[in-house]
Amino acid sequence: MGVTCVCQVPVAEGKSVQQTVEQLHKKLEQLGAMKQGSFFVDCETYHATSNASGQPSKLLYVMHNSETPLSCLALFEGGPFLTADANFDVLMVKLKSHFQNAKGHKVESRGARYRYCDFLVKVGTVTMSSSARGISVEVEYCACVVPGDCWNLMKEFMQSFLGSSVPELPAVFSSKPEGLFVPTDCMDTMSQYLELFSKVRKQQVLPGSSVR
Amino acid sequence: MSGGPAVRVSIESSCERQVQEVSLDGVETYVPPLSMSQNLAKLAQRIDFGQGSDSEEEEPNGESRDTDWNKQEPEEDEGLVKFQPCLWPWDSVRNHLRSALTEMCVLHDVLSIIKEKKYMALDPVSQDPTAAKTPQVFQLISKKKSLANAAQLLLKGAEKLSKSVAESQEQRRQRDFNTELLQLRSQWKLRKVGDKILGDLSYRSAGSLFNHHGTFEVIKNTDIDLDKKIPDDYCPLNVQIPSDLEGSAYIKVSIQKQSPDIGDLGTVSLFRRQPKAKPGSQAWHLKLEAAQNVLLCKEIFAQLSREAVQIKSHIPHIVVKNQIISQPFPGLQLSISLCHSNIEKKNHRASPDKSKPDDHLYVLEHNLHQLIREFHKQNLSSSVMPHPASAPFGPKRLRLAGPMAYDKPEINCLQHSEGLLEKIIKQAKHIFLRSRTARTIDSLASRIEDPQIQAHWSNINDVYESSVKVLITSQGYEQICKSIQLQLNIGVEQIRVVHRDGRVISLSHQEQELQDFLLSQMSQHQVHAIQQLAKVMGWHVLSFSNHVGLGAIESIGNASAITVASPNGEYAISVRNGPESGCKVLVQFPRGQAKDLPKSDVLQDGKWSHLRGPYKEVHWSRMEGKNFVYKMELLMAALTPCP
Amino acid sequence: MEAPPVTVMPVTGGTINMMEYLLQGSVLDQSLDSLLHRLRGLCDNMEPESFADHELVYLLKGQQGNPFILRARRSLAHPTAPWHLRYLGQPEVGDKSRHALVRNCVDVAASHSLPDFLNEMGFRMDHEFVAKGHIFRKGALKVVVSKLSRVLVPGNTDNTEPLSLSYLVELSVLAPAGQDTVSEDMRSFAEQLKPLVHLEKIDPKRLM
Repeated sequence: MGVTCVCQVPVAEGKSVQQTVEQLHKKLEQLGAMKQGSFFVDCETYHATSNASGQPSKLLYVMHNSETPLSCLALFEGGPFLTADANFDVLMVKLKSHFQNAKGHKVESRGARYRYCDFLVKVGTVTMSSSARGISVEVEYCACVVPGDCWNLMKEFMQSFLGSSVPELPAVFSSKPEGLFVPTDCMDTMSQYLELFSKVRKQQVLPGSSVR
Repeated sequence: MSGGPAVRVSIESSCERQVQEVSLDGVETYVPPLSMSQNLAKLAQRIDFGQGSDSEEEEPNGESRDTDWNKQEPEEDEGLVKFQPCLWPWDSVRNHLRSALTEMCVLHDVLSIIKEKKYMALDPVSQDPTAAKTPQVFQLISKKKSLANAAQLLLKGAEKLSKSVAESQEQRRQRDFNTELLQLRSQWKLRKVGDKILGDLSYRSAGSLFNHHGTFEVIKNTDIDLDKKIPDDYCPLNVQIPSDLEGSAYIKVSIQKQSPDIGDLGTVSLFRRQPKAKPGSQAWHLKLEAAQNVLLCKEIFAQLSREAVQIKSHIPHIVVKNQIISQPFPGLQLSISLCHSNIEKKNHRASPDKSKPDDHLYVLEHNLHQLIREFHKQNLSSSVMPHPASAPFGPKRLRLAGPMAYDKPEINCLQHSEGLLEKIIKQAKHIFLRSRTARTIDSLASRIEDPQIQAHWSNINDVYESSVKVLITSQGYEQICKSIQLQLNIGVEQIRVVHRDGRVISLSHQEQELQDFLLSQMSQHQVHAIQQLAKVMGWHVLSFSNHVGLGAIESIGNASAITVASPNGEYAISVRNGPESGCKVLVQFPRGQAKDLPKSDVLQDGKWSHLRGPYKEVHWSRMEGKNFVYKMELLMAALTPCP
Repeated sequence: MEAPPVTVMPVTGGTINMMEYLLQGSVLDQSLDSLLHRLRGLCDNMEPESFADHELVYLLKGQQGNPFILRARRSLAHPTAPWHLRYLGQPEVGDKSRHALVRNCVDVAASHSLPDFLNEMGFRMDHEFVAKGHIFRKGALKVVVSKLSRVLVPGNTDNTEPLSLSYLVELSVLAPAGQDTVSEDMRSFAEQLKPLVHLEKIDPKRLM
């Protein structure tokens, strides 16, 4: 598991989500990247039914990543993270009287997985309630785990196929108290996805968003 | 008395002289009568001086002496005849008296010494007077009686002894059973079920998951006749092993070229000689070890056949009876068979196998045993206890996968464990590829003399990989022609060739590929050799190409070519060498030497004669020289002007 | 009896509806050695392993009904091992024929951030204890012999005090629901431990 950067790619003018994704695939293939299967990242949202203290409770997100198929990742936004095995899902079923699954809030990103040397690129279509709402691109540089060491390289690589829409250094890395030079883990990836998903979710309420 | 004729009785006077001899015709020779002096001497000799010495025994000896004399008489007579009569009749008497005197003196001396009790003492010597006194008949009878008594006593004792021996032996047998049981217990797992003692043959405690119960029963060997002699190999403890584990078994692994008729499958049955008993080990131990080996072989085979059915491969593995057949490479067949022989069957089956060549791959059989033990060990170590203790059982590393967010490759590492069959097929592939590579190189080396090909095999290799260094050289020019050094890494599916300059070429398992590759390398070697030779000879390389794009197309690889010019630039040699087309050598002469060249009108000036002239081909096969490089050296030398 | 879980949402992974079959008993400290000897003889051929765990019991109080209990356990001997989060359902009532206590069970292996995360979820720690002892295995059967100690200063596992003069003995099996044959195996195994320890079906509710 290397350093990852997840970003949202805007849908090209006058194109559908599908067409934009295909365009990205084409660019990657032209670069020489090889398609290596597919991937998915999904996210369920739960909210507490009761609140003893009366404060507004934070939302609990339970995510899965095909990259770590045996794990179940639970997060609070900004709060503590938990990595557990797949039985955590079963536990959430048991907890249904205390944590309700916000139906219709399930977001997932599915798409193809490309490998270009040490880079792993995943271009996914973000869907919510079975409608495509955006495009996510995850770039992973597998050869390094310290973001500070390889960010520039990753940026350059992303420029080669993303053009102008290259993201800035993800906030998960820059906001760490230890700085850029600590190893990353899967949670950094998941919080980036979570951030992207909440952005997408908010887009939904905006009228006239570029969703076909 | 009344009538009958009177019976004549002829009486002959007894012979006065003694008959010395009766000859065959009945004539009796008489001993001549003794003269007076002779008679006196005879009588004098009769005086027995030994008689009178012990006075106590005078009475009984007196009677016996008469009888003695009567008996001795004829012998005495004969003795007299034989010995010369003495000169003086009293000679013997005198001698006897003298010796008696001597004896008396000695006796006197002895007695006087004894009196002193300083040097000698007299002790009574027990003597059986009756033995001497009783007549011989009595003696005989009494002796017989006492002997009979003694015999009776001895017999009684012997009887008692044999009884006690039998008893102690019975006890010892009992004790032996216990000691044997103790020994058995120290080496095998035993438990008591009801009134039986059962043992465990299985490898379950070592991690085996084979579902054969593998129990044996310990039996006390009691069916032995007490009266008979106990055989040497008698053991009071016997073991009863399950009938399906009897005999001996082994796994036969072989690679064959072509597949035999399907109807012929499953009949492989080869038998191995019984293992020789190690001295000092018990019969039951051998029996148990053999049974355990059978069990292990069965487990290996069961595991392999289970995998053979489960694993999907392009060409499905076939499991027929006691044989598993797999195709590692097209046209090649790996067969793994379980050979299990019972002793009864052995006799009439052993003979036909003798004729077959033994293609058994012992290395693979050994590796199978090693693999199953590794498998056992893995089973044991995978079931480590969970920590914290409340966590469920399961492989420890898989438990980490969730919370540590392992990704796919990491999980694959944890989960994917190759089966026995896959491993053994891979090993078989490697072994086959290795042996065939060796054969290919050897056959090339023996077929082609120039250039020479050498193979240096590494001694140490992995089960899936081995390497060989191949050198292509020219005889006599080993020092200068070292351009082609190949490292062949033989893997499972392919051979990787690493060039000296670091280029890597992957060859498939096809034999032809390696052969073609080596042939093209050999052809290139010749051109490389010329390049090296030119340096040594002071020639200049004008052009050099490993892969010539011109000329006829070679079926294997490419032709290579080189052009070298003589030190003064007058001559040039051009060589083209192809793996298939062979070599073609051309020599370019200076224009001036070419006589058949038509005089040109344009090139009138003398300086033009230094231009290169036409090429002429050299009849290479007619060149002198033992090999290509030597020929080239000669050619170069011939074209170099003498200084 | 607890209703079988209704999957209102797609469960991506995990093993649904696992049951724990449990028998419990206790031995006095003095007879621990003989019990351990017996267990070594009966259980699978492995070196007996000792353990030291720290268990935290968390409660989540809802508006109505019983609080939701979760048990989080970590190994003191293997600090890098993942935490074990466990949900235990109510014991199935009735069914006298079964020889063991049966209850629903969810085992989750989790990262070390578990206590923080549970706090964030609204769980509060009710009590904690340290369990030290030995663990044995025979096939699927798990035998845990442990000494429970009270934690005197919250969070400090070095400062403990034994709860009693005896060892807790638990015989448990994890199996999918409906496999009642395992309780038979457990009973016969428990028979073999008599009279060293009497393992019984103990309903924790009755003790409360």
